[in-house]
Parts: sequence; C-alpha cells; structure tokens
Amino acid sequence: MNARLEMRSGVTVSRGGHGPLLEYVGVTMSYGGLLAVKDVSFAVERGEILCIIGPNGAGKTTLLRMTSGLLRPSGGQIWFEGLRIDAMPAYRIAALGSTQVFQDIQLFANMTVLDNVMAGAHVWTDGGLLGTALRLGPAVDEERRIRRAAVDQLALLGLSGVLEEYPSELSWGEQKLVGLARALLCRPTLLLLDEPYGGLDTADIERLSTTLRTLKSEGMTILMVEHLTDIVMDVADRVVVLHYGEKLAEGAPDTIREDERVIATYLGE
Amino acid sequence: MSVISTTKSRVASAYRLLRVPRPALVLLAVVAVLPLVGNPYVLSVLINIGLYAIVAMGLVLLTGLAGQVSLGQGVFYGTGAYASALLCLRLGLSPWLAMPIAAAASGLLAVPIGRAILRLRGIIVAGVTLTVNMVFYYLTISVSDLTGGATGLVQIPRLPYPKVLPYTTFVFYVTWLLLIVALILSCNIAASRVGRALKAVNLLGGGSEDTAQVLGMDVMHYKVLAFVVAAVFAGVAGSTYAHYTSVIEPHTFNVQTSVLVSIMVIVGGVTSPWGAIVGAALIVGLTEFLREVAPIILGGPTGAYELVAYGVVLVISLLFLPAGLCSLPARIEQWRKERRI
Amino acid sequence: MEVSTVLQSLISGLTLGCIYAALGLGLFVVYGVTRVLNLAQGEFVMLGGMLTVSFCSMGVPLIGAILLAVFVTVLSGAFLYLFIIRPARGASGSTLAFLTVGFAFAIEGITLLVWGWEYRSLTNFLGSSSIHLWGATIFGQAPWVVGMTVLMVVGLFFFFGRTMVGKALRACADEPLGARSVGISIERMALLSFVMAAGLGAIAGATITPLTMTAYNVGIPLTIKGLLAAFLGGLHRAEGVILGGLLVGLAEALSAGLMPTGYHDAIALAILLAVFLARPRGLLPSRGAAE
Repeated sequence: MNARLEMRSGVTVSRGGHGPLLEYVGVTMSYGGLLAVKDVSFAVERGEILCIIGPNGAGKTTLLRMTSGLLRPSGGQIWFEGLRIDAMPAYRIAALGSTQVFQDIQLFANMTVLDNVMAGAHVWTDGGLLGTALRLGPAVDEERRIRRAAVDQLALLGLSGVLEEYPSELSWGEQKLVGLARALLCRPTLLLLDEPYGGLDTADIERLSTTLRTLKSEGMTILMVEHLTDIVMDVADRVVVLHYGEKLAEGAPDTIREDERVIATYLGE
Repeated sequence: MSVISTTKSRVASAYRLLRVPRPALVLLAVVAVLPLVGNPYVLSVLINIGLYAIVAMGLVLLTGLAGQVSLGQGVFYGTGAYASALLCLRLGLSPWLAMPIAAAASGLLAVPIGRAILRLRGIIVAGVTLTVNMVFYYLTISVSDLTGGATGLVQIPRLPYPKVLPYTTFVFYVTWLLLIVALILSCNIAASRVGRALKAVNLLGGGSEDTAQVLGMDVMHYKVLAFVVAAVFAGVAGSTYAHYTSVIEPHTFNVQTSVLVSIMVIVGGVTSPWGAIVGAALIVGLTEFLREVAPIILGGPTGAYELVAYGVVLVISLLFLPAGLCSLPARIEQWRKERRI
Repeated sequence: MEVSTVLQSLISGLTLGCIYAALGLGLFVVYGVTRVLNLAQGEFVMLGGMLTVSFCSMGVPLIGAILLAVFVTVLSGAFLYLFIIRPARGASGSTLAFLTVGFAFAIEGITLLVWGWEYRSLTNFLGSSSIHLWGATIFGQAPWVVGMTVLMVVGLFFFFGRTMVGKALRACADEPLGARSVGISIERMALLSFVMAAGLGAIAGATITPLTMTAYNVGIPLTIKGLLAAFLGGLHRAEGVILGGLLVGLAEALSAGLMPTGYHDAIALAILLAVFLARPRGLLPSRGAAE
C-alpha cells in the first residue's frame, strides 16, 4: 500500500516505511482561550535526532504529550508510522513503537529498579492473568527473558549495582538512567525525551550524548525537548524552534544558530 | 549428561514451574495436621479467619498492588453467597458446581461496576464502593421473593463430603486449601508482568498512570482486572460461607464486612498477600477473644468492646506501622542496621 | 398520586435535605482546610443527640443540655485532630480517612458501652408535635431543623467571608503555602476546622433527634449520606454541598413516598450514585482554580 497523501505542510507522507517516521500537520492546542501550540507543522525523519528548543512555556512539553497520546490536540493531525495517532489512546500509540521519558522521570516508587526497567517490556510481551497467576511455561519463560533483557540493559548503562534499590534511594543522575533503561526496554522506534539533560553534571552530559548517538547509530529515532541550547546543538541532527507555541524556525543546528529571527527572540537572550 | 542429571533437571524445572513459595508449603503442612489437635471451636474460628483472609487477599491485589481503595468487597462476598445458595435451592445444582458459577457471577458483576467507578481517583472510589455496597444491601432486603428478604435463606445444602470427617473439619480443609491457592495465585501475580502493570497504575503507592500509558499499559483494563479478581476471591469466600453455615442473611454482607476486611489488610500489611492472612487472624482472633472474655470480665453489651478494639487497632496500626504487621521483620532489620552504625 | 403525598414527601425531603446539607458542610469544612475526609462526621452528630438526651434526662434545661453536648462533642473533635490526625501528618489521604474511621469505630463502641442499644429521643423543642399544611403533616421539629440549617449556612458564609479567622481558614484551604508565609498557623487552623465540624455536627444532632431518634449506630448511615451530599456538591463549593444535601434528602423522601416500599432505599441511592458518576466533579461548576 503506497497511497501518497498530500499534507498541509507540503510534505507528502506515504504508508509503508518510506517518508518521515513522525509528522505534525497544523497541530494546535488551546486551553480555554489560551493557545499553547499554534499550527505547528514539521516532520521527523527516520534515524535522526531532532531537538525542539524554545523558552519555557513555548509549548514543547505539550507537543510531546500530544505525541504520546496523553493529550488530544484541539486541531491538526499527528502521523506516526503512516497512521494517524492524534485520537489514539496512549497505550496504543506505545504499542506502535513510541515511548517517552518525562522531565521528572516518574519512576514507579513502589518497585525496585529492576522491576521498573522490566515494566518497560510490557509493550512487546503478552503474559496475561492466567499465565502469570498459574506460572504456566510460556509465561515463566517470557518473564526470564524480560529479566535478562532488563539486567543487560542496566549493565550497559552501568547500573548493575542498584538493581534491588528503590527509586527513592537513587541519585538524580541514576534515576535518569533508570528511566532511560526502562524506556529502552520498550524497544521503541521513536524515543521521546523531555529535557533529558536537566540537572546533569558535565560528565553525565557527555555520557548521555554518547548514549544517544549510539542509539541513533542502531537505528532509533529520537525526538527531544530541551532548553539547554549548547548541548542540543552538539547532539542534534536537526532543530525546531518553538516560540509561544509557534514554529519559529527549522533546520540544521548551524542554520538555526545563524537564523536572525531565532537570534532576535531566543538565542540572543 | 547422564540420565540421572537430565531427570533431576527435569524435576527441578517442573518444580520451578509449579513453584510454590516455601512458606506456603509450610502452611499447607500445618493446615493438614491441625484438625488432629484442634477442637471444633478452634476450627470454626479458623474457618472464619480463612474466609475473611480470602476476601482480604483480593483487597491486597486491588488496593495493595493497584492502589484502588475499595469498601465494596461485601457486595461480591454477598453475591457469591446468595448466587451459590440460590443455584442450589432453586435449580437443584450441586454445591460443588454452584460455587465456581457463583464466583464467576461475582466476577462478571464486577466488570460493569468497575468500569463505571474506576474512572475516579483516590478516596472517592472508597466512598462510591461503600454506596454501591449499601445499594446491594437494600436490594437484597427488598427483593425478598428471590433472596428471602431480611430473614435470608435457610437450609442451604452442604458441600457433599466424605462422611469420615466431621463437616466442620471438612470445611476447614476446603477453606484453607482455597486460601492457600489464593495466596499462591496472588504471590505469582504480584511478581509478574501483570503485577508490575498493577503497581504501575497505583497512584497511591507511587505509580504513575502517564508512564504506564506510554509503556503500553491500558490503565483502565488493569484497574478493572484487579477489581474483578478481588470480586472473584470474595465470591469464592461467600459461596463457601453459604454452604458452611447453611443460613445467610443480608446483614452479613453489609458495610461492616467491607470495612472490617479493609481493617484486616491495613493491620496485616496491604501490599503483602501474607498480610491478608495475618490481618484476618488478628482481627478475628481479637473479636473472638473480646466476645467471649470481655463481657464476663468487664460487663457491658456484646459488640461494644469489639468496636472500640477495631478502632484502636486501626489507629495504632496506621500511626505506627502503616505498612502493616508484615513489614515488622523488615522494620526490625532496618532498626538493627541503624543501631550498628 | 395525591398532592398531599407529594407535598408531604417534598417537605420531608427538604427537612432531611437540611440534615444532610449540615453533615456535608461539616465534611466540607474539614476537607477544605486539611484535605482529610472526616468519616467520623456522623459520629459528631450522633454524640450531639445522645449527649443532649442524657443531659436533659439529668434535669438540665434544653439550652444548657445542648450547649454541654456541643462542648463535649467539640472536645472529641479536638481529640481526633490532636491525637490521631496531627501525628499522621504527611500521610496519604486514604490513610487519614481510615484514621477517622478508626476514631468513628471507637466512638461507636464507647457510646454503646455507655448508653446501650436503645434508641433515645427528645421532645420537640417547642413541644408541638405536628403542623398541618394543605393536607400534609409536618413534624413539629421540622421548622427547627430547617431553621438550624439556614442559620448554619448564613453563619458559615458570614464567618468565612467577613471574619479574620474565617478568612484565615479559607486561605489555608486555597493556598496553604501562602497562608503559612503570612504567619497563619496551619495546625491551629486545622484544629479549628475539626472543632467547628464537631460543633456543627453536635448542633445538628441535637436538632434532629426529636425527629429521627438517635442510637449508637446512626453515625455511619449519616456519614454516608453526608458523603454523598459532599461528593455531589463537589467538595470545593459550599453551595454545591448544600445543594447536594438537599438532593439526597429529596431523593430519599420522594422515593419513600412515591415508590413501592422496600425498593426505595436502593433506588434512591442508585439514582444519586448515577448522578454523581455522570458529573464526578460536582453539580456546580468549579469556581476557577483547578482541584
């Protein structure tokens, strides 16, 4: 099926693996008269790292929440893997291959680190009530595989020492890494990150950037919201600038750095 | 690999498949032997504990894991009892057949109720389940053609049983076997993919519905699932009760049961399946003790001391041991660790 | 259906509604300031009634009996806050609610020990047993109930709107951090809210006892109806709570008067529940700030 559809943004989207992974078409979000997001349109290509930057209140987090299905846009469309997702419940969007790490991570306080990360495997597993309650063979095997995957993922991020700790006992940096591990266990094609660099020291920043580049090289698409512009310019393939809910500019980091409007309203501050 | 070692590894993996937590096996052994040393009164108290513990176990999954505070288990306990009784009395079914059907009926009833109520958050769910409980209580009294009204149903047939044992002993075995099965199922669920999903949607305990959603968990589905499982547990217990006492009346399934069961899990430890058993044992034991002893020593109307005791135990538990008696070993360990430093 | 039956039901409904509105207001005051759902509110009402009956039977004149009853109930409310709620500061909403449940159980038990099983009653405040109006019979106490509720509502509106203490209480409810920063003691306000709820409950209890009688176990059904009133009202607007109370009362009375006996309790509750589920945020729209 290769029906080509003409989109308002001028970019054509075709179903079936070609074209952008994610596309926003005229997306608008209004809260009782206040427009948080105004007619935003752009696309995210497969395998790229795209950063949305802009001052606080620019609508960046709102856009991300709409992408995950936690908010319904007031207008416009969002397309993911060729399917329209703006009216889809969040858990279905996750099943299509996207997940998000929130700004405050929101690790499950009532589970250990290992359990938190294992929870990420929910989307590609199917152990149901009967299988798990009765510990039937397939369910037990699946549980073993999930555990293996979680332990390995945590080892890759250097967290093997905290498997049995609870989130309240972790440092902020560790919590961020656990949150990332949990998201990675979803095996997403699209990873949404809301201010992943917040509160990290220089060493951790470098480590995170390296990790993101590694993920990109393995084929993952990363959509990130940040307002620490220097870091962003370093790791992003492309940048979208939002200002008061509107898209101000879009392009490669160098182009954005030299864009007059951006300098005038944002970078110059 | 020799034949012996392959057999050993096959047995080991089969054991792991069935894997029953060792304490449950110990409990099973104790249960098996108990009637030899216990008298009928003790057994009847233990049956009481067992039945309440099964209902409480459902709350452990619903409230402890999934964080939904429900004061409505009485609805499903009653549904199980009345459904089972009616299936036997009106349709002539064998109690052994009626029990699973009644339990299933409780579960089915829980689906629309859960769907309607669990959209709400927090303590409001408790208030709503309480109101639903009252509605069912009033209905049970009113629909007297079906339910026998305020006088209830009598002459409910007993479970067919081997006549070598006294009926009380037999019911004791049935109850505690069902309880141990419920215990194992609960432990299994808690440590599984479903358990993690339930904990994830537990706003009360530190879960996050947003995160659960983006990890692909259908929040409403899991909340209702926990509600239904709790209802089935309560239905099984209610049905057993009906065939044990042969007489059921509406007031047994009213608000007091629901609240009492909540007190049991709070005192025992709401996040641990063992907490259901410990809490039930404590509260029922306390009730029996006060009912027998207090009026003799202290005088006064029956029922008064129990009420005061429930209140005091609940308050002390919440203030000093909010995670329940089951958390005591961990707390002592923690206290010892801090002492050493 | 005769007009007089409907009228009778409406008047009963209004009277009951006032009772539930008063209960709901007690819940509202405590919840607003402390975010605690005081499930022992019904016990305050019960205590008010019981104590008034006792004091009256000891020969104390009615006014004095009521004042003494209110005083003792207020003490119990203070006890609840100081020794049960305050030590649990920081606990979750459901823990706090269950703490009040524990208190309610204890109160019930103590009441049973002291007063026994029987229902107690009071004579109507002015002696007259009933009034006849257009074919309907109003119990003589009913105007007192309605009057008490009206006074309570007016008093509360004045208190919260005009007095310094009342405004401080409102500040705690709306903006606890801000209130603390201007020197308002949250603990003292919380204590005050519990004391007020106990006092209001006791007055309501004394007023309705001639109508409904009282016993150790009337607390729980009252609390549940008060909860319904408060939930329907949305817990964030006093007007809503009053409206909710009236609705609960009307539903109960109308269904008792107009529906086949036996089913009316269940149907009334079911209808109210359905209304609540349809509008979980309360009947009246929120004033503005998100809850």
